[in-house]
Amino acid sequence: MSAVIEEVIEPGESRVAQPGLAEPQREPAPVPWRRGGRERISDLILRHRDASIVTALVLVVLAVQGINIANFPTVSDDEGTYLAQAWAIQHGHGLAHYSYWYDHPPFGWIQIAALSWIPALLFHGPMVVMHARIIMLPVSAIGAALVYVLCLRLRMSRWAAAVAVVAFGLSPLSVTMQREIYLDNFAVVWMLAAFVLALTPTRHLWHHIASGGCAALAILSKETMIVVAPALLLAVWQGTDRSTRKFALAGFLATAGLLLFQYPLFALLKGELFSGPGHNSLFGAIHYQLSRPGSGDIFQQGTLANLTLHWWLVRDPVIMYAGVLASVAALGFKRLRPIALAAVILIVVAARPSGYLPAMYVIQALPFFAVVIAGLLDNVVGAAMRWRSERIPFLRAGGANLVAFASVLAVALLAPSWETGDETADSALSNTNYAAASQWMHAHIADPAHTRVVVDDAMWPDLVEYGFQPGLGAIWFYKVDLDPAVTKTLPRGWRDLDYVVSSSIIRQDPNSLPTVSAAIKHSTVVATFGTGDQRIDIMKVDHTR
Amino acid sequence: MSFFLTGVAGFTLWWMLHAWRTPETLQATRFADPVGDDGLCFSLLVPARHEQEVLEHTVNRLLESTHADYEVLVIVGHDDPDTAAVAHRLAQASPDVVKVITDTHERKNKPKALNTALPYCTGDVVGVFDAEDQVHPSLLAHVDHAFRETGADVVQGGVQLINFHSSWYSLRNCLEYFFWFRSRLHLHARKGFIPLGGNTVFVRTDLLRANDGWDQNCLAEDCDLGVRLSSQGAKVVVAYDSEMVTREETPGSVVALFKQRTRWNQGFLQVLRKQDWKRLPSFRQRLLARYTLVTPFIQAFSGLMVLMGLLVALTGRVPVLVAQISFLPVVPMLATFAFEAVGLHDFGNQYQLRIKPSHYAKLILGGPFYQLILAGAAMRAVWRELRGRNDWELTRHTGAHLVSEPAA
Repeated sequence: MSAVIEEVIEPGESRVAQPGLAEPQREPAPVPWRRGGRERISDLILRHRDASIVTALVLVVLAVQGINIANFPTVSDDEGTYLAQAWAIQHGHGLAHYSYWYDHPPFGWIQIAALSWIPALLFHGPMVVMHARIIMLPVSAIGAALVYVLCLRLRMSRWAAAVAVVAFGLSPLSVTMQREIYLDNFAVVWMLAAFVLALTPTRHLWHHIASGGCAALAILSKETMIVVAPALLLAVWQGTDRSTRKFALAGFLATAGLLLFQYPLFALLKGELFSGPGHNSLFGAIHYQLSRPGSGDIFQQGTLANLTLHWWLVRDPVIMYAGVLASVAALGFKRLRPIALAAVILIVVAARPSGYLPAMYVIQALPFFAVVIAGLLDNVVGAAMRWRSERIPFLRAGGANLVAFASVLAVALLAPSWETGDETADSALSNTNYAAASQWMHAHIADPAHTRVVVDDAMWPDLVEYGFQPGLGAIWFYKVDLDPAVTKTLPRGWRDLDYVVSSSIIRQDPNSLPTVSAAIKHSTVVATFGTGDQRIDIMKVDHTR
Repeated sequence: MSFFLTGVAGFTLWWMLHAWRTPETLQATRFADPVGDDGLCFSLLVPARHEQEVLEHTVNRLLESTHADYEVLVIVGHDDPDTAAVAHRLAQASPDVVKVITDTHERKNKPKALNTALPYCTGDVVGVFDAEDQVHPSLLAHVDHAFRETGADVVQGGVQLINFHSSWYSLRNCLEYFFWFRSRLHLHARKGFIPLGGNTVFVRTDLLRANDGWDQNCLAEDCDLGVRLSSQGAKVVVAYDSEMVTREETPGSVVALFKQRTRWNQGFLQVLRKQDWKRLPSFRQRLLARYTLVTPFIQAFSGLMVLMGLLVALTGRVPVLVAQISFLPVVPMLATFAFEAVGLHDFGNQYQLRIKPSHYAKLILGGPFYQLILAGAAMRAVWRELRGRNDWELTRHTGAHLVSEPAA
């Protein structure tokens, strides 16, 4: 017992005596104001060193990710789906534009809906999905800043934290994936926040409780995020002191558990928890997701999972290979272990032989890859400098030079490949066909309110924007055959449809949707955009045939 | 409504967990080790009424104190010969230390007894203990050090009910004390508004005399004294050490607990109506005072409201969103249960008591019923206060907490 009495310690003071914990480096002593604008700015930068570094890095990341965001990569149907569901929330239609079937917890597109005022402010044109992507920029910015803070809390050097942000934000794979309106992008930011809070240097109980809250929000944004929960738990364990650990863990688990519980509670209150005839249900959806046909063995040529892996490797082999290797290696270092564990769990889950592996899965792993890569670099450089200063004393002063030399080398090695990748991202025009097709619909359909069109989810929000009836006028293609509420309104089958906007997504699996196939069979192409697989045909259904 | 209830439950939880916020806060809630010689002289008041069974043990234990300079003043009633006999015997055994004061008030209560003894106190500091308290021998030395090191006007030591195994409600009662003295009171001390406890409380004698001692008409004279001293800006230090805590026992029956709670709640109401707290300097302190004093009533009321909300949500035809919101207060309530379980584990650790799984089950299952007792007591208190009944219903003590520690 060597304590002081309650009143002596003021709240602010308790942060000071933290042996060995990553208090973001102490600010240098305030420099007295000097004359002249330039000195003043440099003082400001010096006194808020971390904030300045983060701001600069985030601006670079935003620039690279923001330029050409609408035109690359190709809009995916998932983006359209989430945006349409966000649209439904915004307009008071419930949680989805068709009946909500518990495909994912809804918190992800609740956030999309909350952000959708941004594009509305800037654009009023076609291809709503393309323009809506701008909402991903603040998400990426917050993610990048959190990566930096997380690195500092793992007691990494500033330069290493900066490396992590660069890897996280500028890898061509990141640039591609983080632009798209995917739930994973939201989930991963919440999860990063959870890690940051778990490793809070003050070891404050309420930070751990908040960490549990963020973890729950991450999982409610995208349920697959739950697999990294053990790693987060390890972080909380490391981030707490023995004397208060019990309470911190209880707070963390109770908050996470009780917030997550809101989701089944919602289903229960709606009477949709258990599966039954005539309604969607949470358990039914879980059963469907688990029994979804797998994407095959990731290492076996020709499987869907292998194709996905290849696609990732084409976009950026560096972060993929280095990330996997660093994750395994970083398990050996205590301070990096929680992050490494998160990455390793994600790798193992991806590599399991049967299971569904969508392209956006990699988003969840990218920040953890970036942090472990930078963390290992920090370890190696730190060890090298210690070794050097012991063996070669006359070189002792040049630590900064060594780091600078190493980073120049790294940049020289990385730059060509990333430059090409990011260049593509910033200049390719992958969505011109979509935009043109969408324009065509706007220009040529005279009476959108009474025209029924089958479209994929990527174009659905556009047509709604043009005045087609959401749901039954602009019809999301696979609801035509699968949603009884839609089928009911098509008593004459394909004859009740007027147009099909046939994209590669719709053509993918024609046999499972008989009405859509029949409509295509009984229609004529009135306009075509692009060529080959990716072309978009606008087809008018011929009711007389 | 739901948001309000959630807020109340959240705040209560926040305060309940104050001590465990960071490792440093937890460390700071303990007594510092005494350095140097004892400097103050203590007058320890022990009011005893029909407590002949436990008084001797308590006083003998006080006499084991390591402190050099103190006196024990046992206060007995003129109509209570059994207790008086024990007290006089004790005084004969140690004539220099133990004195007996006889309270001749027609209607007796604790503040009257304490005020009777106040003029006879010769020490710099007056300390209060109950007749059934088990006091640690080195407590006085630590309190002495705390006074001198921090320049405090008041030092409140920890009090802990120990006999958690006696019944389902004593388990909760013990835990309630644990959270109150271990955590919540420290927050009050820091914020500058504190309802003091009934014993193991030490006040500088001159300050006490300047305030005319305790309020004889108040059913929660301890709380009242704390409020009066706080509003004068007195510096209050709280320290809790499981080793040095004063051990007590829970009321012997549910009815006794119910009556004790009624008295406290009514006392809180009286303190609220006396309005001494309005002299607290800052708005936040006044808010904290107001909130603390009405807490028992808010709790009684909120328990009922939450139940009603859930009933409506589950049976009524309300939109899903509304139903979901009415479940919101359940989140902090269930979290509180989780923390209570952890608290019970910590309690067991600190006092080297074996907590069995059945105790956890009792804790959780007993929760709603305990709330019911508290709610009932809150309502009865309001009723009695409105009817102007403020006689003193004393809690009887049999020494159940002594059995748990045969070595003592």
